[in-house]
Amino acid sequence: MNKLLVSPSPHIHTKTSTASLMRDVVIALLPAVVVSVLFYGLSELIVLGVSIASCVLLEYLITRYMLKRPSTICDWSAVVTGVLLALNLPATSPWWMVLIGAVVAIGVAKMTFGGLGQNVFNPALVGRVFLLISFPVAMTDWSATKGFIPGIDAASGATPLGLYSEGGVEAISGMNYLHTLFLNIGGSAGEISAIAILAGFVYLLARRVIRPHVTLSIWITVFVFSGIMWLIDPSAYTDPCFNLLTGGLLLGSVFMATDYVTSPMSPAGGIVFGVGIGLITMLIRYFGAYPEGMSFAILIMNSTVPLINKFFKNKKFGRK
Amino acid sequence: MKKTFSIGGIHPNDSKISSDCKINVLPVPSTVCISMAQHLGAPANPVVAAGDKVKAGQVIGEPAGFISAFVHSSVSGTVKSVGPRKDLAGNNVNHIEIAVEGDEWADGIDMTETIVREIPDNETIISRIKANGVVGLGGATFPTHVKLCPPPGKKADFLILNGAECEPYLTSDYRIMLEKPEQIVIGAAIMRQVLGNPRTIIGIEDNKPEAVKTMSSVVAKLKVLSPSFHGIEIMPLKKKYPQGGEKQLIDAVTGRQVKSMGLPIDVGAVVQNVATSLAVYDAVQKNRPLVTNTLTVTGDCLPGDRQRNFLFRIGTPLSFIVDQIGGIPEEAVKVVSGGPMMGKAISNLDATTVKGSSSLLFLTAAQTVRKAESNCIRCGKCTEACPMGLEPFLLNKLARNGMMEELEENAVQDCIECGCCLYSCPANIPLLDIIRIAKGDVIKIIRGRQAAAKK
Amino acid sequence: MTTTIIWTIAIITLLGALLAVVLYLVAKKFKVEEDPRIDEVEKVLPGANCGGCGHAGCRAFAQSCVEAPNLDNNFCPVGGNDTMKKVASVLGVEVKEKAPMVAVVRCNGTCENRPRTNEYGGYSSCRVKAALYSGDTGCSFGCLGCGDCVSVCQFGAIAMNPETGLPEVDQEKCTACGACVKACPKAIIELRNKGARNKRVFVSCVNRDKGAVARKACKAACIGCGKCAKACPFGAITVENNLAYIDFTKCKLCKKCVAECPTGAIHAVNFPVLKPKPAPVAKPAEVPVKAEAAPAQKEQAAVNPQPTEKKEE
Repeated sequence: MNKLLVSPSPHIHTKTSTASLMRDVVIALLPAVVVSVLFYGLSELIVLGVSIASCVLLEYLITRYMLKRPSTICDWSAVVTGVLLALNLPATSPWWMVLIGAVVAIGVAKMTFGGLGQNVFNPALVGRVFLLISFPVAMTDWSATKGFIPGIDAASGATPLGLYSEGGVEAISGMNYLHTLFLNIGGSAGEISAIAILAGFVYLLARRVIRPHVTLSIWITVFVFSGIMWLIDPSAYTDPCFNLLTGGLLLGSVFMATDYVTSPMSPAGGIVFGVGIGLITMLIRYFGAYPEGMSFAILIMNSTVPLINKFFKNKKFGRK
Repeated sequence: MKKTFSIGGIHPNDSKISSDCKINVLPVPSTVCISMAQHLGAPANPVVAAGDKVKAGQVIGEPAGFISAFVHSSVSGTVKSVGPRKDLAGNNVNHIEIAVEGDEWADGIDMTETIVREIPDNETIISRIKANGVVGLGGATFPTHVKLCPPPGKKADFLILNGAECEPYLTSDYRIMLEKPEQIVIGAAIMRQVLGNPRTIIGIEDNKPEAVKTMSSVVAKLKVLSPSFHGIEIMPLKKKYPQGGEKQLIDAVTGRQVKSMGLPIDVGAVVQNVATSLAVYDAVQKNRPLVTNTLTVTGDCLPGDRQRNFLFRIGTPLSFIVDQIGGIPEEAVKVVSGGPMMGKAISNLDATTVKGSSSLLFLTAAQTVRKAESNCIRCGKCTEACPMGLEPFLLNKLARNGMMEELEENAVQDCIECGCCLYSCPANIPLLDIIRIAKGDVIKIIRGRQAAAKK
Repeated sequence: MTTTIIWTIAIITLLGALLAVVLYLVAKKFKVEEDPRIDEVEKVLPGANCGGCGHAGCRAFAQSCVEAPNLDNNFCPVGGNDTMKKVASVLGVEVKEKAPMVAVVRCNGTCENRPRTNEYGGYSSCRVKAALYSGDTGCSFGCLGCGDCVSVCQFGAIAMNPETGLPEVDQEKCTACGACVKACPKAIIELRNKGARNKRVFVSCVNRDKGAVARKACKAACIGCGKCAKACPFGAITVENNLAYIDFTKCKLCKKCVAECPTGAIHAVNFPVLKPKPAPVAKPAEVPVKAEAAPAQKEQAAVNPQPTEKKEE
């Protein structure tokens, strides 16, 4: 015992750190990762590997050599971006496309704003949308790749939402929801198993990493909105369960809309944010040109976050 | 469903390691140094000089203003010096140094253990509380007689006794509730009578079931004995920090919220700590000045057999207490006076105990050394934790940019400095360090404006 | 196709013309009448917007200069007398010259002189530290070393010396704007007369503790012994609350006090340095090494060691 340490109160600190929160997100993503690797096999493993490695490496290079700051890769946030980006891409994506996605996600969407905490848009989504617009064919190539589970092969061809977008309700009439819950028919890696994503959601809630407001309000909005439309005309509009279970809605609502940096602070703000995402998603799906609207909806609502933060604050003690 | 306050709060491990240690009487050191600034408000004026003989309980400092308090000698002996001396923060404060000779108490002080249940009239109560230098022992050390005389037009509907002891580690309030419950309840009845018999609630957190049990049985027993004890009840509260915060406790117990910059009496509440209640009992029933208090010596790195709850004399050097428990434990890097959330780190062990001393807490490097600050990830953990519903991340940014108007709009002046924001920040941003300074600046601006408006 | 283009051009042109008219009318209606001299004065100001003059920025200062009857209460510390002369000529008024000032750090509690008694682990800011406690040394008056003065200086004129743990003022860069004086919670930094050829004598200590206490905390503390006050032939030194202070308006730079001070708390800077006597070749006439030879020399570095000072006398 040498000299006494003196600092202002409080003198104790929670064990939760940025790194531990981000690590928890990675852990919550594991079920989805495992399912997608089992399902899509080696090619998915390559996409994941390239995505994570390039995100982490880029963050390291940019912080150390361009910004000349201590590296921030130890906070695990680049890993989260890498995993999310990979789960948003088809397993057939060539490695260079993944690399471009990582450059856009980390280089453009995250580090140009000043790194973790400063970015306006969700980096993984920006990367994904950039690829979607630049390489529309490759990004919607859902051909089956060889999985690790013999006997179960990924269904090839378009995603259910793609089918609906082109052929209307009839094109998807044969779909089995039970199938969707566990192993979806085609789609990006993160879409294939609802159960895997829900398991991650429960883990995040249990670890108090996220609050449920954003996710639940997206689900409720999508359910109610599509429910109304479906009741009005079931031959033109898809039903609520279909909309909840397909097209990355679960992945987006659990892991990307809840991203700390790009979502509102207060629970009330979170609800507004979630309702906005739900509405925009459904408008794009029903009336837009793209089959699935989750990515765009989240990005559009990301841009409203500062405004939401300003108008939807927590109730202050002893004030109206 | 047990009650608690409505906004924010955190759940640190309560670490009440020393809760089973009975209160030991700390030996009287050979010299004591009694501070003249042991209360909120103007420091007392010394009324003795070097060479004077004093008895324990004799007045040695007189109040120097309306919000000030008497200071008494805690020992008998000879005054060695009167002058500035460094307090535990290293700042110069007037102290009276007394060389101890024997242990003789001043006349009129009842040092027996017999419990006195007859409550005198209000005038006697207030004058005794004032003359015996009773101050709030919950942390703020506000002179109790001032708090018990609400300004004209304000009436107390509630007297709330704070037995929450929500700070981790501290057990002194718990021990007095177990060992001196009757005195505390009589103290509560005394204050209740002064305030015009409002509803009186003793709030105790549910991590202290023994205290709830003991206090409840004492209240039941006293109610049978005398009608003066009717209207006193025990309320177990759901454990959450900072339950013992004045505003939070009122919210938890009554559901009323004190307005920004307001006082508890504005919503008809008066809050007193259980330790204050004990001091009130001693002052009124026994005419004993506030020269002793209970203090916890604890910490994870302190072995179980060295944990203590001490009844100490004010003015005892901290180093003397440290010697009594066998020195500072090897692993400790920080010694805190008070709880780990709001206590003050001690820079100077030559400093002495004051009326409000509640603990010596030893913390290890792993527990207390701050980690490097990183970017705010806008996780909102600080807003979730803030019991005042503020946005510490925003206040931090505004303060670093010196945006005073925006700070006031975002209610930085409401901050109670509980430390929940800094405790819960995963990016280790020194939120409270910065907000505390900004709060001071904004309050100064508000006060300046109010003063200008009065003119 | 062509009609579309024509229509587009026509509509855009029309819209542009319409908006131009609106802009013109709005500008006319909301025009703020301002004294044109404010612009002129602002032009001659340094434009640092440092606030050293006590106004919100250079424009506010210019406005105040124009509105005031004379320039006595307005002074731009950054631009100094030259700028004030220019302002005066713009406004056609007289201006009194002011002696150039410089920020002086009055603490010599280096790591060596003033041992650390505890370790500070909070946010590195003097204000935060000062609000918490007296600091990590035995001296409760001295420099806290977190560099609030460094971060407020807009001219890069103050830097922390990692060896001493104290801030050092670059007298060439310092504009005496006073930002550091305001930022220092311990009121250690003072604006003092720059002095003839930058020569200055000052007490580098603000400790008001009793001599023994001060001495125990810091080897270089002023102990308030008053020897300097007795030695001063000009009555420039006062001792109050155990602390000596040299009034720079009265000080004639004789350095008698420097020789008297038992703790070396009084510093004389930028005086010629005498080489130690045993140096065989040096003749007295060649000895002085002008401080001016190294203009960027830091103040603290130029402090003369006590023994050589004595020899000069």
